Amino acid sequence: MTQMVQIFLLGMSLGGVYALMAAGLTIVFGVMRIVNIAHAAFMFIAAYITYFLFQSFGVDPILSILVTMPVMYLLGVVVYRLVFARIADSSRFAELTVLLTFSLALVIEGLLGAMFTNIYRSTNPRYATDAILFGNFYLPEGQFYATLISLALLGGLWLFLRTTRTGYAIRAAMQNRTAAQVVGVDVSRISTIAFGLGMAMAGASGSLSSFLFTFFPGKHWEWVAILLSLIVLGGMGSLLGSLVGAFALAVSAAYVSYFYGPTWSPITFFLALFLILMFRPRGLFGKPMEA
Amino acid sequence: MSAAANAKTELQSPGLPGSASKPARKWFLAALLIALLLFPLTNLVSGSMNYVLFMMLYIFMYIAMASSWNIIGGYTGYTSLGHNVFFAIGAYFSGVMLVYFKISPYLTAPLAGLLAMGVGLLVGVISLRTRGPAFIISTVAMILLVKITFDNWDYIGGSNGLSLPIPDLDVTISKFPPYYAMLLLAVGAVYLSYRIRHSKFGLGLRAISQDETKAEVAGINTNYYKILAFAISALFVGMAGSIWGYYLTYLRPNIFLTVLMAAQLVLMTLLGGKGTVAGPVVGAVVFILANEFFVSQLGFTELNIVATGVLMIVVLLFFPEGIVGTLKERGKLPQFLDWE
Amino acid sequence: MLLEVQNVHAGYGAGPSILQGLSMAVEKGQSYCIIGPNGAGKSTLLKVICGLLHPRQGQVLFKGNPIHTLRTDQILMQGISFVPQDRSLFPDMTVRENLRMGGYILKDRKEVERRIDAVYELFPLLKERGNQLAKTLSGGQQQMLAIGRSMVLRPEIIMLDEPSLGLAPKIARQIFDSIQFLKQGGMTVLLVEQNARLGLKSADWGFVLDLGKMSFDGPADSILADERIQELYLGRQKPPRGGETA
Ligand SMILES: Nc1ncnc2c1ncn2[C@@H]1O[C@H](COP(=O)(O)OP(=O)(O)OP(=O)(O)O)[C@@H](O)[C@H]1O
Ligand SMILES: [Mg+2]
Repeated sequence: MTQMVQIFLLGMSLGGVYALMAAGLTIVFGVMRIVNIAHAAFMFIAAYITYFLFQSFGVDPILSILVTMPVMYLLGVVVYRLVFARIADSSRFAELTVLLTFSLALVIEGLLGAMFTNIYRSTNPRYATDAILFGNFYLPEGQFYATLISLALLGGLWLFLRTTRTGYAIRAAMQNRTAAQVVGVDVSRISTIAFGLGMAMAGASGSLSSFLFTFFPGKHWEWVAILLSLIVLGGMGSLLGSLVGAFALAVSAAYVSYFYGPTWSPITFFLALFLILMFRPRGLFGKPMEA
Repeated sequence: MSAAANAKTELQSPGLPGSASKPARKWFLAALLIALLLFPLTNLVSGSMNYVLFMMLYIFMYIAMASSWNIIGGYTGYTSLGHNVFFAIGAYFSGVMLVYFKISPYLTAPLAGLLAMGVGLLVGVISLRTRGPAFIISTVAMILLVKITFDNWDYIGGSNGLSLPIPDLDVTISKFPPYYAMLLLAVGAVYLSYRIRHSKFGLGLRAISQDETKAEVAGINTNYYKILAFAISALFVGMAGSIWGYYLTYLRPNIFLTVLMAAQLVLMTLLGGKGTVAGPVVGAVVFILANEFFVSQLGFTELNIVATGVLMIVVLLFFPEGIVGTLKERGKLPQFLDWE
Repeated sequence: MLLEVQNVHAGYGAGPSILQGLSMAVEKGQSYCIIGPNGAGKSTLLKVICGLLHPRQGQVLFKGNPIHTLRTDQILMQGISFVPQDRSLFPDMTVRENLRMGGYILKDRKEVERRIDAVYELFPLLKERGNQLAKTLSGGQQQMLAIGRSMVLRPEIIMLDEPSLGLAPKIARQIFDSIQFLKQGGMTVLLVEQNARLGLKSADWGFVLDLGKMSFDGPADSILADERIQELYLGRQKPPRGGETA
């Protein structure tokens, strides 16, 4: 029994990071209907920046969030303006965005490979290997911090969306784009900001991932597949859905890993995706037939 | 009458449907086919054509696959980013039949195709319950799902893969069997694509891609159409897999089940022009030659990936209709490429 | 002239022009009703005026200044607001939040809250439902909220696209009553209505839009009475030249 609780805790402590990753993806999809296949690739840019800062200057990976978030925000703004703004009116927008982000992911993967080679990397600050004890239970220290920071960032995001004028505009655009336009939201500007915000969150989760997981440039595909499954599960564009999905699946994956071995744990996400498609195609929190 | 003269009459009498009215195209295709059939014989003379033969059979393979993908991705408008799953299934099925039962992949290829089709049917029933981005995502997930399964399936070699016996053929003719097999698949797939394009079934698929709700209202059983299109699009991909696996002589999940490969299939179809018969063919030829050029110039595989990505972004942003589509739109499509 | 549409051609994407040389003029303080068959381009016209769609040719003048190249938020700022055909609410926001979004372009939050209170006075029902999510409102309440939301800006012109769509006749009349009320408050009302009789009855002036142009315009009652228009657009449920029978 204690073992089961322990696994539950381990799952939950990764759920926060998954939720942070999924939130970035969800905002970008929700506001702009962009399925960002490159989300994990962007995350990896941040992971490599963190790696570089750690190796060269000994910068703490958690502290480097202060660098990666703004850098990724700016990169997001530039990419949005250069690539997506010009197709905003296309009737094939949804399909084009999938293919464009796909191509972007290739470009990023190739550049990272050229700069950092295809060797497995990770940062190893002290807390990456230590554990914290809570009575009978333990949590890897790194996971614990990462979850705290993820939750703090998600809380910050929530406050931002709930209280600021821009936050309202972003939520408005997520709920009904035309309506947002009609009340005078400059959706093109809001889209740029939202894309930047999604990338900033990819930045933070990339920094956190750098000491939680090992990575090499081509590995982002596995990540993005997991994250995409997660947001389909949550209902494409529902922030709450993706958060609930993140925690539920992180915990399930922890159990699968315990019972069947770690190589099987990612399969949890894909199986969950197909199950949800079979029984509730709109996802947990989705509107009916969200295309 | 010469082909050129025929081309003129054709231009003056537009609107006549069917292949009979386009003799220039017919001659072109017949000549092309004969040339392709005879081409390997040059290797008997010079013996140095193996690289060219390899490039050609590689192109044939992608023509077969892109044309098949076009049935679901182009005609029906459901972008699948997981078609190499069928490729892997074909390769592994024939590989297992060869390793454990000593049956040649050339014999089991059709079965491999049917198996892929069966799996396509099954996956289609589930994945096609959704549409748009969610569908695309479910097909990506399919790759990873199958990859993890194959990685952990010891009977088929797990993540170390499966080594196949090397065919014992003289080096001058060693490329002949895969060359002709892939040529057959390419011709078959293009023909299938052409027939579907001109059938009532194909019309239904196009209706779905235009407006699914309207298609349904018009009395098309859209579910049945979509699932069938998905399954059919797996057929030649599975067969290509079984031939290619035998050619490579080893099967590994991380070679056959990469998202990159699925992407290439989609990208070449888009490059050529999706939803057209000639598009996937043109796209496969141009894409693979361009890729080969990048590799030879940039060496470095990473920069090659970058070049592929950049090329695709440019195509998507500036020629979203692809080569054939754009030429057609501007009325500049040469007649020998107008295969509609 | 408050608003002038001059020889406007407009369409979607690379598609055909839906509006083909349409012109119309709107005077201050009057109410107008645009009728026409389905797909004639009525909604398209309103989208052009409020900047959701830019014309391919021609111009739109507000108080003599061209506005057809401006963004929607800039046009709103000038005093033209629009309630789309599907009502376009924010389903997962509360009634109050929806109203707050109505004042999005105003920087002064306190002023927005004051104006929301004014809207509440006009539609007490919205106040009752202030904390309810918009998606849980009934059709009529949603329409009320959509109108209330566009009132927050106190526009000079309010454009309503088929406000009675999908509403029971009684509710539809209530909505029209509140529109009347807006007009009495000095607002210029531009209405598109499928229910042509109801729409024309509540308006001063009528337009008939067909084949991408205005095919008739005149005082609303004369349009109601015009035999040709009756035949073409109103259906002949009533005896020609017959007066109103309520
Ligand atoms: N977003 C769009 N993209 C492409 N075509 C559109 C779009 N919206 C409308 N159309 C087309 O423009 C034409 C006019 O549409 P519009 O909505 O303006 O008609 P309407 O007069 O408002 O009709 P209704 O009475 O049915 O509301 C129609 O043929 C429609 O198909
Ligand atoms: Mg309309």
